[in-house]
Amino acid sequence: MLVWCVCYVVHIVKRFVAVVAMACLSSSRLCARVQDKLLCQFGHKVRKQTVFVKLKPPGPSPLRIFGKTCQRVSTCGPTCGTGGINAAATSGLVRRMASSLQSTSTGSLPDYGTQIVDPYRLLEDDLNGIYEDIRSELERNTNQPELNTIATYYFDGQGKALRPMVAILMARAVNYHVYGENSALLPSQRQVAMISEMIHSASLIHDDVIDQSDFRRGKPSVNVLWNHKKVAMAGDFILAVASMMIARLRSDDVTLVLSQVVTDLVQGEFMQLGSKETENERFAHYLTKTYRKTASLIANSVKAVALLSGADESTSELAFQYGRNLGLSFQLVDDLLDFVSSAHAMGKPTAADLKLGLATAPVLFACEKYPELNPMIMRRFQEPGDVQKAYELVHKSRGLEQTRFLARKHGAEAARLAADLADSPYQKGLVVTTDLVLNRIK
Amino acid sequence: MSLSRLYCVVRSDLVKVQSSSALVSKLWGPCTTREVNTCSTQRASVAQHNSKPDWNRAVSEAEKIVGYPTSFLSLRWVLSDEIANVALHLRKLVGSNHPLLKTAKNLIYNGKNNMQAWGLIVLLVSKAAGHSPEIPDMEQDKAAGVLHSQRALAEVTEMIRTSHLVHKGLVNMNSRQPIAAEPDDMMFGNKIALLSGDYLLANSCSELANLRNQELVELMSSAVRDLAEAEFLGERDEQNNPLPSRPLPKEERQPATEWDCIIDPLPMAGVIGSAGREWAARHVLAAGALLGKSCSAALKLAGHNSQLQTQGYLFGCHLALAWQAFLDLEAFTGPEPASFSLVGAPLAFTLEARPELYEYIEAGRKSVHDVDYHALYKAVLEGDGLEQTKQLQREHIACAVQVLDSFPNCDARTALANIIVAMHHEHL
Repeated sequence: MLVWCVCYVVHIVKRFVAVVAMACLSSSRLCARVQDKLLCQFGHKVRKQTVFVKLKPPGPSPLRIFGKTCQRVSTCGPTCGTGGINAAATSGLVRRMASSLQSTSTGSLPDYGTQIVDPYRLLEDDLNGIYEDIRSELERNTNQPELNTIATYYFDGQGKALRPMVAILMARAVNYHVYGENSALLPSQRQVAMISEMIHSASLIHDDVIDQSDFRRGKPSVNVLWNHKKVAMAGDFILAVASMMIARLRSDDVTLVLSQVVTDLVQGEFMQLGSKETENERFAHYLTKTYRKTASLIANSVKAVALLSGADESTSELAFQYGRNLGLSFQLVDDLLDFVSSAHAMGKPTAADLKLGLATAPVLFACEKYPELNPMIMRRFQEPGDVQKAYELVHKSRGLEQTRFLARKHGAEAARLAADLADSPYQKGLVVTTDLVLNRIK
Repeated sequence: MSLSRLYCVVRSDLVKVQSSSALVSKLWGPCTTREVNTCSTQRASVAQHNSKPDWNRAVSEAEKIVGYPTSFLSLRWVLSDEIANVALHLRKLVGSNHPLLKTAKNLIYNGKNNMQAWGLIVLLVSKAAGHSPEIPDMEQDKAAGVLHSQRALAEVTEMIRTSHLVHKGLVNMNSRQPIAAEPDDMMFGNKIALLSGDYLLANSCSELANLRNQELVELMSSAVRDLAEAEFLGERDEQNNPLPSRPLPKEERQPATEWDCIIDPLPMAGVIGSAGREWAARHVLAAGALLGKSCSAALKLAGHNSQLQTQGYLFGCHLALAWQAFLDLEAFTGPEPASFSLVGAPLAFTLEARPELYEYIEAGRKSVHDVDYHALYKAVLEGDGLEQTKQLQREHIACAVQVLDSFPNCDARTALANIIVAMHHEHL
């Protein structure tokens, strides 16, 4: 047993050396990467589901998890430390989590072709401080303390930061595509990442007032804590500051592209107010609404970063289509998770869409098998028992499966588009992101 | 955007306001300290057939000068899909108490309070200032004398203002005060109000983007930011209605800072507790900034230098404040009203003179409806709050007119002067 342990430790150290040789990584990440290649001490294989854990800024708040349970990884932590790798790495691991994705091959020396690429870690330095920067931009723009408090409430770093991450990832990938290896992230592109997160949050704030939600991201929604009128104004404020930031980029095209987002967001909300009669119309309506409410922001922000990069029209269009497919996939998974996940994992209550009277993809698919859902959809699940019945029927039908299939289709399309960009770690990251979106659990 | 160009074809004939040599000297009361040059310029000329200037007349005359009815509450607005949607939903609210209905009514009602005149002011300033020769012909709406972009800007101004008013028409469902209406109705009304306001804001973003002028976008976005800030200034009741702050004794007041900021947020030093400055700060944020920045933006579009743009900002700001003073005074003329604005200038000055009256304001912490308006009304009439407000209005009017003087003489300038005359307190 002891011999085994020693051999094991030696094995770890060898890996340690190998991994050190390849790229400049901070010591804390090193430990994590070693974890990637190996299994946990307990020999727990990291399974097909992508375990993906996000970085979190230092603070007492709970770690964000973008994938599986953190437990397995955290138990690796202390032992990993005692395995002889420096203590700094351990403490780093406690605060940062390993990310590991199933790779198709187990090459001995990592190379980006087959290596696990974790986009969040790849962009760690760029993403670091995104939330702080947004908060200070908001603070700089008001002399009213309460406005500042409400406006910065959702910028505490607890969100998934998917939109900024994708924007920066695309920015770097397109920069690499256009300018090659020595390309850097432009400050304007980083601004676009911040802007996309701000627009997203402003829409969340208004959504919370509209939907009277209770919880978001694991804490009370903003409408629970404050006067609704002030909350509405805070949303407008964030939008105004984001517009000022867009204007400071001094690019007509980028302003046009990003202002389209705001229009789409509102039109998407309006679409949600209405409803369509026939099944076919309903699905098309749902897809258009989904594009406007979710995909448009991602699509247009990646298009904007591509424009800022100086890419040609076909590349910008490619970026746009990538974002669009990714966004659609993301929302379809979101609608799916509303039916399968638990409230604890999501940070917000589930079956929320049904309770709001919204018929999302799983329900629309389930209609084929259970036409009794049709009248329920038309009356927006208002009658007592509707929500429960619909929930059950969706689970009984193939609706969830079909939704996942559609999400995968869009994800695959996004990955295919990304493959057209020049090879780079960032381009790989774009492909990996489509997987992340599909396999998330919250 | 292109629809608005269609309406250019449908405009009415330009009516030249009859020029007259009569100087309306009562525009400047006995108290202005500024020397205003009145001899070489034409002042507000009165419509021939009626000796008393009238607000509606001034506005409708002015509208003819700049082309067609400037308010975007015209066919284009009505034809929009989303607004049709909103109207449909609004119908469900009829009979409920939701403030959105009142806002919608005020939008259409043609009174001094309505915001239809905002776009008009921007267009008049645009026309009065003219444009620099470099602007290509295609962009000019020659017959109306304004650029197409300026017309779009006027629309944007109105949309932003309307959006703000609509968003102010939400009901705070978190209030501990019982809301005397169906909660479902209120929530639905909130939803519609929020969406409509967002729609207007989004539309104004798009139109601004189409103007392809990033400085403009920055300027107008800062105006939206100011409007949002206005809702946070000072004390509020549970429905976010504003309450004046307790007046600070003279010794405790901080020195005031200059307000020539445009993009940066309005500095708050020395504002809270000082009657005059708090009133001014509140209304600059709530109205002056938007009107001022729109006027400034209109001049920017015309290619004028930054000095004139600043003048435009000052003009709009002072005009909005003069307007506000007028509205504040309105409550104290005629029969005693059931309630009036607690942050109006007359009350602010009265509270400053008699701080013990602030106890009445304290009663309004939960809801402004709990305040003893009768007692306050009497106190205002007894004191010299009204006189101070009139003086305040005269000062702002004087500042606005001073800027107006720097514009070349033309019908648009006269129309603006007419409007200013119509809002003078002597015409209450």
